[in-house]
Amino acid sequence: MAEALTLGIDVGSTTSKCVILRDGTELLASSLIPAGTGTSGPGRALAAALEEAGVQRGQLAAVTATGYGRNSFDGADFVVSELSCHAAGAAALMPGVRTVVDIGGQDAKVLHVNPAGKLERFLMNDKCAAGTGRFLEVMARVLELDVSELAEMDEKATGNVTISSTCTVFAESEVISQLAKNVDLHDLVAGIHASVAVRAAGLMRRLGITEPVGMTGGVARNAGVVRALEKELGVCIAVSPLSQLAGAYGAAVYGWNKTRRDPN
Amino acid sequence: MTESEEKKPAKIVLRELQDRIAQDAWDAKRRGEKVGWCASNFPQEITTAMGIPVVYPENMGAAVGAKGGGQRMCEHAEGMGYSNDLCSYSRINFAYTDLKRCEELEIPFPDFLLCCNNICNCMIKWYENLALALDVPLILIDIPHLDAVTCDADRVKYIRAQFDDCIAQLEAITGKKMDYDRLKEVMDVSQRSSRAWLRAVGYMSAEPSPFSGFDIFNNMAVACVGRGTVEAAEAFEQLADEYEALAKDGKSTFKGEEKYRILFEGIACWSNLKFTYKTLQSRGINLTASIYGPAFSFLYGSLDELMAAYSYVPNSNCFERELQLRVDDAIRNKVDGAIFHMNRSCKHWSGNLYEMERQFREKTGVPTVAFDGDQSDPRCFSEAQYETRIDALVELMEENKRKEGGA
Amino acid sequence: MSTIRELLDELQRVSGNPRAQLDAALEQGKKAVGVLPYFCPEELVYAAGMRPFGLWGAEMQANESKRYYPAFICSLLHTALELGLRGALNGLSAIMVPICCDSLKGFGANWKYGVGETIPVIDVAWAENRKIAAGAEFTRSQFRKVLGRLEEIAGRRVSDADITAAVAVYNENRKALRAFSAAAAKHPETVSPADRCAAIKAGYFMDRAEHTKKIASLTEALNALPEQPWKGLRVVTTGILADSPALLQILADNHIAIAGDQIAQESAFFRTETPVTADPVLGMAQRLGLVEGCSVLFDPGKQRGRELVQMAKDAKADGILWVMTKFCDPEEYDYVPVKRMADAAGIPLLAVEVDQQMVNYEQARSAVEAFAEVLRSD
Repeated sequence: MAEALTLGIDVGSTTSKCVILRDGTELLASSLIPAGTGTSGPGRALAAALEEAGVQRGQLAAVTATGYGRNSFDGADFVVSELSCHAAGAAALMPGVRTVVDIGGQDAKVLHVNPAGKLERFLMNDKCAAGTGRFLEVMARVLELDVSELAEMDEKATGNVTISSTCTVFAESEVISQLAKNVDLHDLVAGIHASVAVRAAGLMRRLGITEPVGMTGGVARNAGVVRALEKELGVCIAVSPLSQLAGAYGAAVYGWNKTRRDPN
Repeated sequence: MTESEEKKPAKIVLRELQDRIAQDAWDAKRRGEKVGWCASNFPQEITTAMGIPVVYPENMGAAVGAKGGGQRMCEHAEGMGYSNDLCSYSRINFAYTDLKRCEELEIPFPDFLLCCNNICNCMIKWYENLALALDVPLILIDIPHLDAVTCDADRVKYIRAQFDDCIAQLEAITGKKMDYDRLKEVMDVSQRSSRAWLRAVGYMSAEPSPFSGFDIFNNMAVACVGRGTVEAAEAFEQLADEYEALAKDGKSTFKGEEKYRILFEGIACWSNLKFTYKTLQSRGINLTASIYGPAFSFLYGSLDELMAAYSYVPNSNCFERELQLRVDDAIRNKVDGAIFHMNRSCKHWSGNLYEMERQFREKTGVPTVAFDGDQSDPRCFSEAQYETRIDALVELMEENKRKEGGA
Repeated sequence: MSTIRELLDELQRVSGNPRAQLDAALEQGKKAVGVLPYFCPEELVYAAGMRPFGLWGAEMQANESKRYYPAFICSLLHTALELGLRGALNGLSAIMVPICCDSLKGFGANWKYGVGETIPVIDVAWAENRKIAAGAEFTRSQFRKVLGRLEEIAGRRVSDADITAAVAVYNENRKALRAFSAAAAKHPETVSPADRCAAIKAGYFMDRAEHTKKIASLTEALNALPEQPWKGLRVVTTGILADSPALLQILADNHIAIAGDQIAQESAFFRTETPVTADPVLGMAQRLGLVEGCSVLFDPGKQRGRELVQMAKDAKADGILWVMTKFCDPEEYDYVPVKRMADAAGIPLLAVEVDQQMVNYEQARSAVEAFAEVLRSD
């Protein structure tokens, strides 16, 4: 049988991510554009992935859209919730994982995946920026850092600075107060990471934690948050280099499963 | 006690009494007696007269918050699925019910629950869940929110019927019988305690106040858990005498000069007690008016009046009565300003707070500020916000003083 | 089929524009009294010859109301107050306000000082200790007190016979709605979640007897339809309000039918009849002792959970959808034990937060879609 190429596209609120798989397992191409739904982002992500794979859209057996902007993406063969896609993506990237925590730009989710890699149960966060990528962006801005620098800062932390507020606005003023006291910046970043970890841990405990645990979403690239979450929960957290693409990856896997069963 | 022995200050007597009452409950539990969990404004005359030990989960919530365990326990409750929107006392209690331990404070687990909603209806939901989780009987005395200034005969009749019903149920559960002569005694002692407490807090009207107003938050615990006992009555009388003596000499236990006098509206921020206190004390601000004065003084004569008294619990009444209590207190105690605590845990207290602040300002003419906080969840409080607002209040109070001085 | 569609559309128009109903009643020379949830004795308003007008808030932004209520009070009360403050409820002769939750306890004063005395507040108290005789007696006394206020407003005496007749009208309406709910559950291909909600909700704004007629016709026509297989999913709902157009559309988009409900705005109104008693007001009081499954009525055994699980089983539902009103304390307290009961019974339960001030329902859409995906794969 001819190889089947499937594409998954995750159209988020601030980023568009695309993954092309061969036979549902081999990664041919991926793209990440920092522009989300309603912008040129999705189109550019699609084009970039196709170019990297060296294929035309017509050669794809299936295009599956997921993410916040999935319903407005043109020409998807399948549209699937990002919860199912993150579950499928995590199962493929971190085989055997049972609990997946996804901290994205705007929200956080916890997923329970069964041994076969299917979504069983899930929980999403309260409508609040605290504990999401947005929170980290706000804090980074206050500290005059780039978000990408946060993990490195955390590594050199020696002390303990607690940022306790549940409200992003309150937390911001807490951070500013700490800065005014000339507290060590590394310790402050560690405190900010701990704050995100506490929020995520709370969500995870509500759903229940079955190991192994894996993390997806953009914030998974922040080793400081991952470490803080491991410490908070007392469990190991697996992270894949492709964690931020887990949604798109899962969407491509979904498309593969669908076409394999019904090649028409 | 010989005359040469130094008498312990009332503050200490009250603290030791509080500890003894808590220990008695533990001892009773270990002896195999039935112990209950009780709502803070439940008619304690019943349990005191029947010699039934009870403990108060709300007080535990306050204590755990004050000792720094609020966040940890609330987070555990949230892990159980409880929304962080809910009263932090109840979240702390749900966590305790699940964990069966709490490093800050532990209370014996109950054989029955006594609920009263005169302070809020969340009490009913909280205790429903406890009854299910602990599989124990729940007795409710429903005291409907009062939409008028006085408690009418229909309400008294309904409350009385539940009061009597409660006694019957407790007799069946504990095997102890209600002695109505003893009940009369307890009612008299409770009056004695209430009057003494009122007298004590009444000295806040002296200039300067003879004590640091935040002490009310600590001393009132016994007003809640022990006012039916002679020891409590004596301790409050001693407290009142101490304040009287200080007031006579123009002295005070308040550290520093009392530059400004304020009404503090709302529950204390137990988890941030030191900070909320220090911010005021360091600026010479003393609390000289608080609803917790009248809150724990239930004044009545007959049994029917007792029923009505329990429906006059602050916040259980119509807006006009509530406002007047604060205004009268503020004027009598000559406040320069007022601080309104918007307590995230308490929708009941917060629901009319904005309008109350406005009308209070109108009627008293003093400046006010409001701040966001919580009784036992430290995550809902911002030090920076509180400080900024207190500083603003000081500026307004200072401006007023200047104007008065110049006139 | 066109009769059914016409009836559904008419009821959609009624519940989509409550103000038009109020205006129609006023034009007829009727007075109208606003009724805030829950369980207010609206039969007494009807008995006094006035129109009971349901106040369930609205899908809108509340701004003025935030001068009175802090942000962490539910949208039902924020938007109901907002409507009053904006003058959108002018024409009402009074509003009935119960005290069964802490947020409601503050409503009367906020309304009084915000909206003013042109629409006076009638406080409604009842016994939470609702199963004891003294409780029913207290509730009866309070409802009689409310009756006195209503008589003043209506400018006429209301006899027990008037009340008995009104109770009969309401019981007929409840019976008709129960039959409709069953018929709608059998025909999700014809009655969408939004249709079902609108049909029930319309009764709060139009004349009850008229509503009964429409509902009865609708039910008859539905029952005459041949039963069609439903390839979608079936859920029972629980919560305070399940009337968000966005959420109802999301359910329809995902082919999720409502097989039954335990919603305060819906079956809490119609699943229990008022007992017919010599003193009709006593029967109304006793009804409160009979209703189960509502988070604002004292429920020490958490009957709500048991009833919900049984309802899901009886309806052969695929799952339970908890439409969680944001900032609702009673619902948030109930969630933990009731969820446990659903889990123990092996019934999947999804809680989706709703807020009448919320514009963006994408999170709810993802959650419902994922829930449907999970249910379908089972």
